[in-house]
Formats: sequence, C-alpha cells, structure tokens
Amino acid sequence: MQHFPILSIVTLFLGAFLTVIFGSKNETVRKFIALVASSISLILVLMLIKPVMIKNNVIQYWLGNWRPIHDWAIGIGLEVDALGLFFGIIAVLTIFLSIIFSFKYTKKDSETDKYYVLFLMLSGAVLGLVFTGDLFNMFVMIEIMTFAAVGLTAFRNYQEGALEAAFKYLVLGSIGSSMVLAGTITIYSQVHTLNMAQISALLFNNLTPSALFAFALLLAGFSLKAFVVPFHPAAPDAYMSAPSSVSMAFSGMVNKAGVYAIIRLVYVLFHAMDFKSVQILLIIIGTITMFIGVTMALAQNDFKRLLAFHSISQIGYVITAVGVSTALGLTAGLYHALNHTLFKGLLFLTAGAIFYATGTTDLNKLGGLARKMPQTAAIFLIGAFSISGLPPFNGFVSKWLVYQATFQANLAPVTIIALLVSVMTLASFIKVAQSIFFGQMPKEFENVKEVPLSMRIPMWIMAILCVITGVLPNIVTKYLVSPAVTAALNIGKYIDLMMGNGYSEKILGKPIEIPAVDFTLAGYWDPIAWLVLFALLLIAVTIVAVAGGFNAVSLPTEVDDPKYDVFFSGEASEHSHVKGNDLFWGLKHDLRHYFGFMHDAHSGIINDYALWAIFTTTIFIVYIFLLVP
Amino acid sequence: MMKGKNRQVKDVIVKTAADFFTPIALVLGFYIILHGHLSPGGGFQGGVLVASAVVLIYLGYGYNEVSKKFNMEIIKKNEALGAILFTVFGLAGIIYGSVFFANVFTNIGDVGDLISAGTIMFMNNSVGYKVLTGVGFLILLMIGLLAPDNDN
Repeated sequence: MQHFPILSIVTLFLGAFLTVIFGSKNETVRKFIALVASSISLILVLMLIKPVMIKNNVIQYWLGNWRPIHDWAIGIGLEVDALGLFFGIIAVLTIFLSIIFSFKYTKKDSETDKYYVLFLMLSGAVLGLVFTGDLFNMFVMIEIMTFAAVGLTAFRNYQEGALEAAFKYLVLGSIGSSMVLAGTITIYSQVHTLNMAQISALLFNNLTPSALFAFALLLAGFSLKAFVVPFHPAAPDAYMSAPSSVSMAFSGMVNKAGVYAIIRLVYVLFHAMDFKSVQILLIIIGTITMFIGVTMALAQNDFKRLLAFHSISQIGYVITAVGVSTALGLTAGLYHALNHTLFKGLLFLTAGAIFYATGTTDLNKLGGLARKMPQTAAIFLIGAFSISGLPPFNGFVSKWLVYQATFQANLAPVTIIALLVSVMTLASFIKVAQSIFFGQMPKEFENVKEVPLSMRIPMWIMAILCVITGVLPNIVTKYLVSPAVTAALNIGKYIDLMMGNGYSEKILGKPIEIPAVDFTLAGYWDPIAWLVLFALLLIAVTIVAVAGGFNAVSLPTEVDDPKYDVFFSGEASEHSHVKGNDLFWGLKHDLRHYFGFMHDAHSGIINDYALWAIFTTTIFIVYIFLLVP
Repeated sequence: MMKGKNRQVKDVIVKTAADFFTPIALVLGFYIILHGHLSPGGGFQGGVLVASAVVLIYLGYGYNEVSKKFNMEIIKKNEALGAILFTVFGLAGIIYGSVFFANVFTNIGDVGDLISAGTIMFMNNSVGYKVLTGVGFLILLMIGLLAPDNDN
C-alpha cells in the first residue's frame, strides 16, 4: 500500500516511454499500452481510498529512503493525504475515461502514437503534482504538465487556430511556471528547505516580506494554471482546438491541478486563510471569474468554446467557495470540483461525439440531431442539467452548498451573483440544446449515425456518476469530501507525519489546533432554505428579465427569411433553421455594450494577455503587501 | 551576400578541428557518464558533451553528411529506452530493497571502483544515455531547420 502512489505515477510515465518504442507502428499496441497503464493507475489510486479516506491515514514516502536527518528534510518526499488523494481520484478517473474515449475518436488522425505519449505524460505529471510533498517537485510536474498540454493542444495542427492556441498556451503557461519557480526560490532562500510540510511549519507566524512576495507569486502562478479570469485567455482557444478527449482532460484535471495547488498553498503552506484579506481576495477573483466566464459563454457560437468559458466560470465557483474558508465552504468547493470534472468531462465528450459524427461543433450549422443520435442527446441533457444545477443532478448539490456557504459567511451579494450565473448557465445550455439537438435538421446531416459503443461507454459512465453524486450527496460527502476537508484544515498532522511525531509542536511551541469541522449545517433539503433559495432565484430571474425584457428599440427584421415572421403562422416556415445565434438575441442586444467591451478586450493578441497576467500579478503583490500583515 | 543555403563546406581548418575534437568530446562525455557516481559531473553533463559531437560533425561536414549518418527514428526510440532503463533501476529499489529509487546491491566492488556503489551507477548511466540521445535528437532537429531545401 505504501508504494501505491509512486507506482501509479511511474506506470503512466513508463507507459508513455513504452509507447515510443513499441507503439510507433502498430495502432493496437499503443492502445493496449495506454489502456493497461491507465487502468493500473486507476486501480492503484482507488485502492488507496480505504486507508486514506476511511481510516484517515496519511501515506508518506521518501524517495531513495532519504529521510529527514536532525529534523531537516533533505530528500524528495511524497505525501498523500486525503486532499491530495481526492484530486488524485479526480485525475485518474478523467485519464481512464478519456483514454477509452480517444480509441475511436482519434481514428481519423495520423500519428496517434504521439497523442498517447503526450497524454500519458500529462496524466503522470498531474498525478505527480497532487501526490508530491515537495515544492520544487511540484514545479517540475507543472512544467511537464504544461508542455505536454501545449503539445496536445497543437495535436490537430491541420485545424485552423490550433498552432496559434498552442502558442498562446505556451507563452502564458511559461509565465505561470516562471512565477511558480520564482516563488519557490524565494521561499527556499528564506527557509532553506523545499519540503512542503517543513515549509508549512517554518512559515507559521513567520510571514516575512520575502515570504509574502513568494506567496503572491505562487498564488498568481497557480491561478494561471487554474485559468481564473485575468489569466484565462489561453484556455478557450486551447480547449477549442484540442481534441475533445484532451479538452476533457484539460478541464477535468489540468484545471483541477491548479485548484489543488491553490488550496495547498493558501491552507497548508502559508496558513493564509486566517487572514480576512486573503479570503476576500479569493472570493473576489472567484466571483469575477464565474461572472465573466458565463457572460462570455453566452456570446459564443462554437460548442467547445462555449464549454471552455463555462469551465472557467465553474472554476470561479470552486475558488469562491474555497475562499469562504469555513468547513462548509471548503466542502462546497471540493464537491463542486468533483462535479465539475464529471459534468464538464461529459459535455466535452458530447462535443467530441458531435464532432465525430458531423465534423463540426459550430452551433449555427448544427440542428435536430436528437433524432439521429438519441443516446448522445440524452447524455448531453444529463450534463446540461447537472452544470445548470437542476435537482436531482450533482450540480444542484454543490451549487446549493456554495450558496449556503457564501450566505452563511454574510456574503449575500456573492450568493446572488452565483445564482445569476447559474441562471445564465442554464440559459446558454438551452441555447446549445436547441441549436444542436432540437429544431430543424439541416439537410447535410441526413446520414449522421450514433457514435460507436466504445465512445458511448465513457459518456454513460460519467452520466451515471453525475446522477449518483447528485442523488447520494451524504455518502459522497462522508467518504470523499469530508476527509479531504479535514486533511486541508488539519495542518499539524500533515507536518507531523512527514517530519516525525512532535515536530510541529517543537517548532511551533504548541500543538496546532485542529479546527472543529462541523457539517451539521450542510442541510441539502432544508425546506426553509428552499424558501430562501426561491426568493433569491426570483431576484435573479427578475434581474435577468429587467436586463432583457424591456427593449424599446425594435430590431431590423429580414422580411425574406420566414423565421422572423410570427412563428408557425405561415407556410414557408417549414425549413426555417433557428441557429444558435438567433437565441437570446434580446439579452445580447441589451447588453451589447458589455459584450462589445469584452469582445474588444479579448483581442487575441498574446502580448495583451501576457500584459494582463503580469498586471494582475502586480496587483496581487501590492494587495498582499498592503493588506496581509 | 547571403549564400548560406547552398554553401559547400570546404574549410580545411574547420574540418580538421572537427575531426580532432569529435573523439575528444565522445571520450570525455562517456568518461563523465561512466564515472558519474565517483567524480563530479554525471549523466546529464556527460550526455550533453556526447551530443555536442553532433554539432562538431555538422560544422565539419555539413547537413548532408549528418543526415546520412544519423537515423532520427532510432535515436528517438533509444531515448525512450534510456528513460525505461532509469525507471526499471528505480523499481529495482522497490523489489530488492525498501522504496523507489533506493540504492540496492551496494556491496559489490570496492569503494572507488567503476563497478561499485550499487544501482545508482546504472541509474546515472541511463540518465546519460537518455540525455545524449535526447539532446542529440534536439540538435538534429534544429540542424534540420537550417538544412537546404531539397525541393527546389
């Protein structure tokens, strides 16, 4: 059991190397290697659930047996606590399902050996990142992850924009990695160790200016890896041009690796959540992220690009909930992270299925596919209901927790924004559903067939998981989320298990108090809370209605197209194709100044985006120096 | 003025220097890889030295000679082989000892001999092999970008 974490990482890397040697000629061999490597990794990580999640152990592992000498960590250590394992489970699940999906999905691509090599490298790097207990090792894994992701973004380099997207990702990703490296160096120069447990002990009540500087740099770097808003512009391009199985991995685990690093940073390494100002910083960037993400998504006309902006928006929920920093908030954040992996992976796979069947993901070209692809349509609806937070799917549970956590922390405005964002999410998925699966079917899709079984299986697995996590929130919370929350808050145990018993007490002079983790308030089906929710929903709907309802300006109509007539009244409307563009034009028209501004801001020029990243980092540094003592 | 595309390498001095330095680079590089566990340096440094021989050959003989001598496909596979060997020696730490990357079979040979210090020597050599093929591959790739176009 002790060896499981390292073996699960090594298996993936070994699979990547073996694919280079044996998989370059034969398609079956490389699929076999990828399948075996990912399933071994999946099994090894799932076998850790019992000891770590249920029996509450922490696995510590010193590579090459370099244990700490005289209370000083000299080697590289792995430390798998419940928080790391939680994200590890998310990662292996994504890896396994994505690899199964890509067997058939990449059949039209050439040189898929490179695809599997890069994908397995990406997977190994994410798993290494969440299991490591060493700050520099974390940086190395982030580097491997970023470069594998860049390679995978450009995999379909015959597609328009793929190389450009990869270049954007490369530049922004390198800025993020450099910040992480600079932060790591600054910490090392102060405490002379790279072990995260020891750093956590030495930095307790010892936040010198250099430590604060390092904190700001690391926070900015990890935020860039999680694509929160001012750092996000590489994400939509990358998600859109990468193959769908890779987009699923991006939003399912590469994003989550950034979220994990932020949680580890603010809760464990720097004990920063004791400061009100850090909480507020995270809540602000989270709220901005979810709002801008969803409004940008409303204006998109490409399925995958729309999903990418929703991905950014949902990460905003996670960051906001993590920033609330109560046990309930952290529960909400982690639960939503898990759910986001499930439903967003599901939706990206649906996008892949649509692309596989029709060759496009443009919402203005598609329509009426539910008759041809009934299973894909059903799966899409499950995913869309989940992400919009409709009961009984999983999005409802975690969004409910987010509302409750923010509301209890006296952050009612954030709750209202979160509700509004949820409404807009639902609105944009109605648009997607209407323009892809319902409505009139364009003539060229007469011969579209349902995707093959090996692509439907991972989609169904994810759909079933979406329902399970939605119907049984108590069990998921008890066995997966609560241990992770406890692990994130129980810093003393994290330090002691790595550095030897009593270490944290010796350095800190007193035992670190374990904060009481209280889950009694997490009432999922509380009727009074329902009433409050409906009141808030009413406010949110009213705001949307006010914003979109009273348009005095009449729009110019094209008389020659029957779709602008009163619907279904004339005979000519039989083949009137309602495109994705035609939906919600009222809302888009009334908010045209906002959308115009956002459109201009997203100029597509990488220099601008790099400037945003640097500027935001500067703000982080100034804010942290001014407001964190 | 710029005739870089169709330039023939005729310079005797550069050619002689390449002939002279290539064996030195190879011998020194392999020495450093092999003695990584005993002396300063190690797999990475030695591997880069060996790979620099590719640059020397390119400078002396031009792109055509280099592309005839090296097969990129085989180099790529050998790089993966180096990585696999490294992982396998790491796994030997689990099988014969305690943890991953643990140094096992340390009692073979005397201190200071080439065959001593256990599996750490073989891990070092695998790193050297991976780096010499990997960096060599990168250099060949970059030289390939400088190559004269064969189409026109």
